[in-house]
Amino acid sequence: MESYNRRDTRAAWLMLAPFLLFFALFVIYPLVMTVYYSFTNYNMSAAPGWVGLKNYQRLLKDAVFHKAFLNTTVYALVSTAALAVLGFLAAAALNRTTRSVKWIRMLMIFPYATSWAAVSMIWLMMYDPTTGLINKLLRLFALPTRQWLFDESLALGCLIFVHVWKNIGYCMLIYLAGMQSVPQELYEAATVDGASDFRKLISVTLPTIRPVAFFVVTTTMLEAFKTFTQVHVMTGGDPLYATTTIVHQIYQRGFTEFRMGYASSMAVVLLVCVLIFTAANSAINRAGNGGQGA
Amino acid sequence: MKRTGADRRFRAVNIVFIALLCLLMGFPLYMTVSISLQTMSEVYASSPKLLPAAPQWGNYPLSMSTGSWGRYFYNSLLVTLITTAISLAINSMSGFVFARIPFRGKGALFALVLLGMMIPPEVTLFSVFKLVRSIPFAGGNNWLGQGGRGLMNTYAGLILPYIAGSFGVFLCRQFYLGFPRELDDAARIDGCGRLAQFVRIYLPLSGPVLASLGILKFTGTWNEYTWPLVLTSGDAMKTVQLALTSFRSETEILWNQMMAATLVSGLPIYLLFFFAQKYFVSGLLAGSVKG
Repeated sequence: MESYNRRDTRAAWLMLAPFLLFFALFVIYPLVMTVYYSFTNYNMSAAPGWVGLKNYQRLLKDAVFHKAFLNTTVYALVSTAALAVLGFLAAAALNRTTRSVKWIRMLMIFPYATSWAAVSMIWLMMYDPTTGLINKLLRLFALPTRQWLFDESLALGCLIFVHVWKNIGYCMLIYLAGMQSVPQELYEAATVDGASDFRKLISVTLPTIRPVAFFVVTTTMLEAFKTFTQVHVMTGGDPLYATTTIVHQIYQRGFTEFRMGYASSMAVVLLVCVLIFTAANSAINRAGNGGQGA
Repeated sequence: MKRTGADRRFRAVNIVFIALLCLLMGFPLYMTVSISLQTMSEVYASSPKLLPAAPQWGNYPLSMSTGSWGRYFYNSLLVTLITTAISLAINSMSGFVFARIPFRGKGALFALVLLGMMIPPEVTLFSVFKLVRSIPFAGGNNWLGQGGRGLMNTYAGLILPYIAGSFGVFLCRQFYLGFPRELDDAARIDGCGRLAQFVRIYLPLSGPVLASLGILKFTGTWNEYTWPLVLTSGDAMKTVQLALTSFRSETEILWNQMMAATLVSGLPIYLLFFFAQKYFVSGLLAGSVKG
């Protein structure tokens, strides 16, 4: 049992005061209010009136929200799977220290440092059906062109591709850090045993960086749940709600239709999804590490 | 060392993979630069123009004259710099407390900090908006925070919610946990209080973590889109990111000027990225290595 020094305790609370003030005001209080608003019919003009579970019942019947939920799930699963695999392959290919490799790595992190607004502009230019580079290249090789972001069956895939393009450098970086901490003796032992480079990648690198892969999956998944800016800028959720996401629906209902109570119930659903996913993830991770924790 | 045939094939596959990766990552970026220097007739040409016939440097000043870009840059820089400075001060001090000062309830409080890191800002977007709108005595509000527009469309409204993040506290705590305990003893002998101990001994040694955190915070705030979108209205308070996306609502999209503006909008980030890449990378990694 640690004994607490009163002067220390006072100093601690005083020094934490600014942080706690901001944290309470802009994180905890809004969180509580979001849950409260989700049980009301708040619309900004009149005081919120209690409606019980009505917002949640409406969510169950809201086809657009279902679409948004499905889109978000597909977006998160596909982009996470792609990033986890491609990030690993990129890191494995670039795991050396020559000068050219350093430049390539920098090139790959570049889109990650760029804002979603700028990345969206770049890909609007690439995907544009008439002036876009992708269709121009297809035309050059006499291949059929597509409407890309205007095609109901392709639009979500186009957004997922951009997401992977933007984040692959980050995933590669995390994997690389993990790979560089793999003990060199393991590789030497494998070489003595006559293992090929490919064999070493599969049998030495892959198993030892499992926790890193886990981290990559967790962070990219959580990032994908929050997808909004790229949708708002590139498609506005169109065509026919093919690209709308949960956060995009929150924005639409809350800030363009001012149905704040209803939007808050969507926010609560998003929060519950995120918390369940995080909890499940850390449970799996703990089990995988023999109860050692991350 | 002798290389087997399998290893040679593996290397070849490797090199092809790297080449494809570079093409995929680099082509859109290259085309952004190229189109920013093309004429509109080159942009409209039916075959892809990889290079402008003559670089149209004039696209850059032209794109910047489509709006008050000086004002947008001023807005973004002001908000980003103030946010970064205040965040660094608050986060490092709180990180020090969590790493070094024993007090009752510390464990529970730190658990709250970790919980705060899990809550996506998108979830509380509206409630924070409502709160900022209802700050008493601001923007024509009465003491109950009603009647006016609060801190909507103000710098304070843009900045305050950015400062609340708890990731920086976590990062600084991890950093300070690695300091030797002897530092504390030395401070105690000198008769330092806790605040003096932080300011005189820990802070001067915090360069690396503050550089990493500062770059992350700067980049994050500069690139932020959603909060300025809901909080501001009108041209005067637009940030660079908002201004960039409003290029789209014009009747005819001037892709060359739009790409020029896209490149200019990231300028501060690119400068940081090139000159402080080490800290940029270590900041990203610091977030991934949980203690």
